[in-house]
Amino acid sequence: MPRKTARIATRSSSGLLLLGALLFLPGTGWTADAPTAQECLACHADRDLKRGAPAPGRSESLFVDDALRKASVHGRLECVACHKTATAPHDERLLPVRCAECHAKARIALTQGVHGSPRAQARAPAPTCAACHGSHAVRPAAALGIETCATCHRRQVELYTESIHARSRRRGDSQAATCRSCHGEAHALLAKSDARAPTYHLSLPRTCAQCHADPELAKRYNIPVGNVYQLYMDSIHGRALTRSGLLVAANCSDCHGAHEIKPRTEAASRVFRANVPKTCGTCHAGILAAYAESVHGTQVARGNVGAPVCTDCHSAHQIRRVEAAPWQLEAIRECGTCHEESLKTYRDTFHGKVTALGYARIAKCSDCHGAHTILAPSDPRSSVSPGRLVATCRQCHPQATAAFAEFHPHADYRNKARFPKLYYTYLFMTGLLVAVLSSFGLHALLWLPRSLIARLRRGRAGGEGGSEP
Amino acid sequence: MSPPERYFFRFNLYHRILHGMVIVSFLGLAVTGLPLKYAQTGWGQWLSHLLGGPFTTGYLHRFFAIVTFLYFGLHLGYVARLILAGQRGIFWGPDSMVPQPRDFVQLAQHVRYFLGLGPRPRFDRWAYWEKFVYWAVFWGVAVIGASGLLLWFPTFFARSLPGWIFNVAIIIHSDEALLAVGFIFTIHFFNVHLRPEKFPMDPVIFTGRLDEEEFRREHPVEYERVRAEGRLEALRTDPPPLWLRNFSRVAGFSALAVGIALIWLIVATALG
Repeated sequence: MPRKTARIATRSSSGLLLLGALLFLPGTGWTADAPTAQECLACHADRDLKRGAPAPGRSESLFVDDALRKASVHGRLECVACHKTATAPHDERLLPVRCAECHAKARIALTQGVHGSPRAQARAPAPTCAACHGSHAVRPAAALGIETCATCHRRQVELYTESIHARSRRRGDSQAATCRSCHGEAHALLAKSDARAPTYHLSLPRTCAQCHADPELAKRYNIPVGNVYQLYMDSIHGRALTRSGLLVAANCSDCHGAHEIKPRTEAASRVFRANVPKTCGTCHAGILAAYAESVHGTQVARGNVGAPVCTDCHSAHQIRRVEAAPWQLEAIRECGTCHEESLKTYRDTFHGKVTALGYARIAKCSDCHGAHTILAPSDPRSSVSPGRLVATCRQCHPQATAAFAEFHPHADYRNKARFPKLYYTYLFMTGLLVAVLSSFGLHALLWLPRSLIARLRRGRAGGEGGSEP
Repeated sequence: MSPPERYFFRFNLYHRILHGMVIVSFLGLAVTGLPLKYAQTGWGQWLSHLLGGPFTTGYLHRFFAIVTFLYFGLHLGYVARLILAGQRGIFWGPDSMVPQPRDFVQLAQHVRYFLGLGPRPRFDRWAYWEKFVYWAVFWGVAVIGASGLLLWFPTFFARSLPGWIFNVAIIIHSDEALLAVGFIFTIHFFNVHLRPEKFPMDPVIFTGRLDEEEFRREHPVEYERVRAEGRLEALRTDPPPLWLRNFSRVAGFSALAVGIALIWLIVATALG
C-alpha cells in the first residue's frame, strides 16, 4: 500500500512541477510583477540585512550569498521559484518555502521516517529540509556528509570519527560504512527501536552482513575470520536472535559497539582482549562476578595477556551451548593449550581417555576445577582444595572417602621426585615387559631356522618316522 | 600320506573347555581394553565406537573379566579335586606344571640345538615354554585381575586402601595387559602355531588329540613313559571327526586373526 501511494504521489508531483514551471520559471514573462533575482539581490546582497527578533535578543540574517546560490543545484532557479509570494520590495515576512512542491517524494519519505516525526520536528534544531540541505546553497544528498548528521547527533558522529569505519574512509576507502550505510537513507530513516529499521536489534546482523559476509572484504582488510556472519548466525546468540527473536540476545553492536567500532587490536576497543570480560559481562553479569574472583580473572586484571578471557574458551562468533559434548570436549583441549602437563597426565587416566574417545559424560577439567570460578587448590574456596576435594569427588562417586580422594587424577609416573611409587612401578612393569618379550623373541628367532629345517626334512622323509637330528 | 594313524588324547574335555574360555575371554578383554589404552589413536577411537563407546565397552570388558575369574576358579577347583582324589605328581614330577631342574637343562639344550651345537632335547608332557606360558597366564590373571577389581570398585577398596593405590593399579593393569597381549599374540602364537613345524596352526587344543607320530616327536619321553606304564591304550582315541577339525580351523584361525590384527595395531602405534 505505501508503495502505491508513493507512486500516485510521484505522478501528481510531476504534474505540480509542470504547473510550477509554467507559473514561475524565469524568462517566461508570464507574471509581470514577479521580481527577478537581480531585483531581490538589490536588498538581499547586503551582508548586514537582518530581520527583527525571531527569538528574544536575537536577529536573523537575511543575506543571500548569490555566488553560492548560483553554484548550487538550484543555481538556475529564480528566487520566486521557491519564494512564490515574493514581490520586490516586500515588507511582510514571506511564507515558508515549501520544498515538497517539487520534492514530493522526499516529503513523503520524511513523513514515514523518524526525522519527519512531530517530535523530531519540534526539536531545535529540527531536521528540516534546509537544516540538512541548506537554504540558498542547496546541496544534494550525495554532497552531504557526517557533519550534517553531527548538527544533531554530535556524540554519535564523534564516536564514529574515531571508529575503524571512519578511519578507513579517511584513508580513501569509499566503501567503508558511513551513517547511511547502516541507518539507511535520511528521509525515511527509522529509529533503531522501530522493527523495520536496519539498525533494529533483530535486523542489525543482516545490516552488518551487507559488508561483513563478504569473504573478499575480509581478505582485503586482513580480517582473520572471513565468515563471521555465518558463524554468528549459527551461534547461540545468532539463533536466539533469529529463531527466538530475543531482544536480549547479543547482536554485533552489543559486543563491538555501534558508532565507535574499533579493531580488537586496540586497547580502546570493546573486543580488545583485556576488555572482553567487561563486554561479555554487560549481559553475563553473574558470570563476570565469578570470573573476576577466579585465578584467570585476577590474572587478566593484573595484565597477564596469557590468561584466558571469555572468548578463549567460548570463541567469539561461534559461541555454542555449553551442554553439548563437542564443545565440552573442545574446552578440555583449550585448557591444555596452557596447562599442557595437566592435560597429558589427565589423558593417562580413565577420565581423560573416555573424553579422548569423544564422550563427555565423565569428569572433565571444569567438573573438578570449576569453569568461571577456578581457584588455586591452596585457596580454601577452591573445589579442589583439601577441604572440599571429597565433596567434589562425590559429585560422581557418592561413596567417595578421604582415602579415595588420595587418588591423584594428574599423577605423572615419569616424575620420579613427586611420584616415586608410580615411577618405580612403571619402571618394573616396563622392565618385565622388555625382559620377557626380548628373551622369548630371541628364543623364537633362533628357533625359526631350526624349525624350518625340521619341517623340510620331515616333508622329504614322508611324515612317518620323521628324522630328528 | 600314510595309512590311518593312531590317535591319543593330550587334553581332556575339561582342559579344552577351559582353554576355550581363556581364548574367548582373553580376546574379549583385549578387544574391549585396548581401545581405552589407545584412546588417542584413530583405530582406538574407531574400535571403541564400533563396540558402542567406552561405557558399553567397559561393560563388555567386565563381562569377559567375569569369564576370566570363572575359568581361574574352575581351574583351581580342578587342581583341588585332583589333590583330594589323591592324585600324585601334581606339584612335582613329569606331569606337573611346576618348573623342575630338568626344564632349565632342556632350555639350555634347546638353545644349543638352535645354534646347531647339539641334538634336540627330548621333552616330556610339558616343555619348558609351555610351563612358562601357563604360569604367565596364572600370574597375569592374578595381577591384572586384582588391579582390575581395584579399578572396578574403587570406592569399596578405598575404605581399606589409600587412594594412590589406584594410580598404581592403572599402571599395573595397563602395562601387564600389554605384556600379556604382546606375549600371547607373538611368542605363544609362534611357539605353538606359527613356527614352521606347526604352521599354520596346531589344532590339538580344540581336538584334544594328536597322532602317534606327533606324540612321539613332540613328547617322546612322555610317550615312552606312558607305554612303559601300559597306559598308552587308555589314551587311545579315534581320529578327530570332520566337524571337529572344521571347528578347530574356524575357531583357531579366527583367534589367530584377531590376535595378529591387534598386535599389528599395537606395533604400528608404537613405531609411530
